[in-house]
Amino acid sequence: MAVTVTKIPRPDRSLWVQSYVPEVMRGLSITSKQFFKNLFTKKDVVTIQYPEVKRDYPERYRGLHRLMYRDDGQVRCVACMCCSTACPANCIHIEAAEHDDTSIEKYPAVFVIDELRCIVCGMCVEACPCDAIRMDSGIHTHPFYERDTAFFDKPALLELGGPSVAHQGGDMKGVQGHH
Amino acid sequence: MPTATINGKEVTVPRGTAIIRAAAMLGINVPHFCYHPALSAPANCRMCLVEVEKARKLEPACYLKVTDGMVVHTESEKVVAARQAVLEFILINHPVDCPICDQAGECKLQDYYMAYDAKPSRLTTGKVGKVKVYPIGPEVVYDGERCILCTRCVRFCDQITGTSELTVVDRGDRSEIRTFPGRELDNPYSMNVTDICPVGALTTRDFRFKCRVWLMTSTDSICTGCARGCSVHLDHYLGETQRYRPRFNPEVNEYWMCDEGRLSYKRLNANRSGALRVGERDDLSWPRAARMIAGALADAQLQPDQIAFVASADASTEALVAGHEYALNILRAGRFYWTGRADGEGDAFLRCADRNPNRAGLVHSFGEQILERGADRLLKDLKSGGIRALFMMSSALPFGREAVEELAAEARKLDIFILATSHAGSLSSAATVSLPVAKHSEQTGTWVNIDGVAQTVDAAYAPPGVAIADWDVYRRLAAGADAEWPLDSVDAIHARIFSDEAAE
Ligand code: SF4
Ligand code: SF4
Ligand code: SF4
Ligand code: SF4
Ligand code: FES
Repeated sequence: MAVTVTKIPRPDRSLWVQSYVPEVMRGLSITSKQFFKNLFTKKDVVTIQYPEVKRDYPERYRGLHRLMYRDDGQVRCVACMCCSTACPANCIHIEAAEHDDTSIEKYPAVFVIDELRCIVCGMCVEACPCDAIRMDSGIHTHPFYERDTAFFDKPALLELGGPSVAHQGGDMKGVQGHH
Repeated sequence: MPTATINGKEVTVPRGTAIIRAAAMLGINVPHFCYHPALSAPANCRMCLVEVEKARKLEPACYLKVTDGMVVHTESEKVVAARQAVLEFILINHPVDCPICDQAGECKLQDYYMAYDAKPSRLTTGKVGKVKVYPIGPEVVYDGERCILCTRCVRFCDQITGTSELTVVDRGDRSEIRTFPGRELDNPYSMNVTDICPVGALTTRDFRFKCRVWLMTSTDSICTGCARGCSVHLDHYLGETQRYRPRFNPEVNEYWMCDEGRLSYKRLNANRSGALRVGERDDLSWPRAARMIAGALADAQLQPDQIAFVASADASTEALVAGHEYALNILRAGRFYWTGRADGEGDAFLRCADRNPNRAGLVHSFGEQILERGADRLLKDLKSGGIRALFMMSSALPFGREAVEELAAEARKLDIFILATSHAGSLSSAATVSLPVAKHSEQTGTWVNIDGVAQTVDAAYAPPGVAIADWDVYRRLAAGADAEWPLDSVDAIHARIFSDEAAE
C-alpha cells in the first residue's frame, strides 16, 4: 500500500502575533476586567460555591439507585432479573429465592449494585416491570476510598427507598379477591 | 400414501399421518399446546386449528389425518383469527406473572401471544385465583393459575411411565391438575413433565428461580449418570452448568431422561479443583510438572509389576485410549485395574444398573479381562504390598467414605501416587501428584452407551484453573518423558480408534 502524505499548511501569523507579549497582555486584560467586575458588582457570576451551594438538579436527574418497598415494608422487587439483563455495565447482582409468604413467591435474597461500575444510564429503571428500582434519589455517586464500599446491598438500597403506590403486576382491579 | 397440499406445497405421507406432522415435514410449524409427538392427541387446546378446504369449520391439525387431495392452509386469515381467539380465551384466567415465572423466555404461550395476539386484555371481570405453589411431588411444583390444562403432564404419566399419578380435578375454569388421593408425582422420571409443560405451570424444585433462561447458553451434551448416556441440552451460565434438559435422540432416550440423571449435573459444579500439585509445589506449569513426574518415575527404577494403572469407566474413550497408550509404553505398568460407580437401580425404560457412562469404552481400550480387577481388588492388592507406584485416572469410586479413607491411607504408603482428578478430596490430598482434569462439560470426548451408541460431545465452557482434557494429560506426560507420542490430538486418537475397529 502506498503511503499518502497530506500537507497541513501552517497558520499564517503576523509578526505582531508571533511576538506573543501583546497578545498575552490582551488576554490578561479580559481576565482582569471580568475579575474586577465580579469583585465589585457580583453580576453574571457563573460559578457557584459547591458544596455549600448546590445546583438544582433537573427532575429526571439520575442519582444513586434506591429500591422501593410495598405498603408492608417488604421490598417490591420480585427478582425477575430484567434490570440485570438490561444493564450494559453488568453491575447488578441478584440472587432469587422463594419467599415464605406464598402471595409473594419470589424475592431477591441478595441484591447488590456496584455503583462504581454503573454508568448511570438508567436502563435498569426502564426495564423494571414493578417500579422496584429507581434512580430519583437526587444523590450523586460520591467517591469511594475502598472498593468494597461501592457495593450497595439490599439494606443500603432500601434505606434510600420509599413506598411505591404503583399497582404491582399491573392494574389488578378486576382480580377476584382484590376488589 | 395420501398426498396433500399444505400452504401450496405438496407432501406425500404415510396413511394415518396427522396434518401437523405432514406440515412439519414441509418445515411448516403449526402452533400447538396439547400436541406432543410422543403422546396421544386429545385435541383439547384448539391452538392448532387450520383451514381444510371443503371442511365446514376449522379442524385441529394435531388430530385430523391427511387424506388424498386434501388442501390445507395454516396461515390464512380465518386461522390467524382463530388463533387469536384461542389465546385470548386461554389468557382470561392466566395470571401473566412472567416476571416471576421461570418459563419466561421459553414459554409457548408467551411466544404465540407475541406472534399472534399482542393485544391488551379486554376482560373486565375478575380472574379465578388458584393455589400458586402446589407441591405436586418431591421434585416438582405446580402452579394452578398458569396451567392451560393441555393435559400433557397427565398423558406423560399415563402413557410413558404408566404410573398414572395425575388427573384433572374440578370443572370449567376451576379445573386444576392434581394427583390421585394418597399419591404423589414421585416416579423416577417425574421431572420430564416440567419439560413438556408448554407454560410455567410445572417447575422443578431444583431449577426454580435459579437462573433466567435467556442468560444461559445451551450446549449439546450427554448425561453421565448411567450407561444409557441420555442426550441432553447442557444449559450453562458463567462457566457453571445450571441444568440438564433431555435432547431428542431416537436411538437413546427419545424425549426423556430420569430424575437422578437430571440432577447429576451438580457433580460438574461441586467441589472442583483446578490446581496442579507435585509434592508440596502447586505453582508449576504443566511442562515443568511433566518433567518432574518423568524424572521421579525414572529415578524410582521400578519393575512393571510394581506399577499399577487404574482406568476409569467414567472417562471418555479418547482418554481411555490415550491412557492405555501411556500406561503401556511410557509408565510401563504391569498391573491394570478399573474403577467406577457402584451399580444402582435399573429399570426397563432408561435407567441402567451400571451407573458408569463408558464401560464399553473401557473394555474397548483395556480388554474384557480388566472388568475382573475392580476397586476392591485394587484395595486388596495395595494392602498385600508389591505395588509401589500407582496412576489413577479421574474416576468415581464404588464404595463409601470409610473405604475411600482406607484407600487413601494405603495410597499414602506408596512411593509415587499420581492422581488425575477433577475434584478435591481425601484421595487427592493423599496423592504425591495431583493432576487437574476437565469434566465432560469442559472437553471433547466420546462416550459409548450400553447399546453401543457412541456420542461425541464438545466443551461447553473452560475447565477451572489449569485443568485440561483427560486425553491431553497423557500427551503432556509423554512430552515430559521425551517419549514418542502418536496421539497428540483428538483427531489422531479418533484415527487410532477407527483403525482398531477396522482391524477387528
Ligand atoms: S444505571 Fe445503567 S449501568 Fe447503572 S445499574 Fe442501571 S442499568 Fe446498570
Ligand atoms: S427489574 Fe425490578 S423487579 Fe426485576 S429484578 Fe430488577 S429491580 Fe427487581
Ligand atoms: S401443568 Fe402444564 S403440562 Fe400439565 S396440563 Fe397444565 S399446562 Fe399442561
Ligand atoms: S437414564 Fe442414565 S443416562 Fe439417562 S438421564 Fe438417567 S442416569 Fe442419565
Ligand atoms: S395441539 Fe391440536 S388441539 Fe391442542
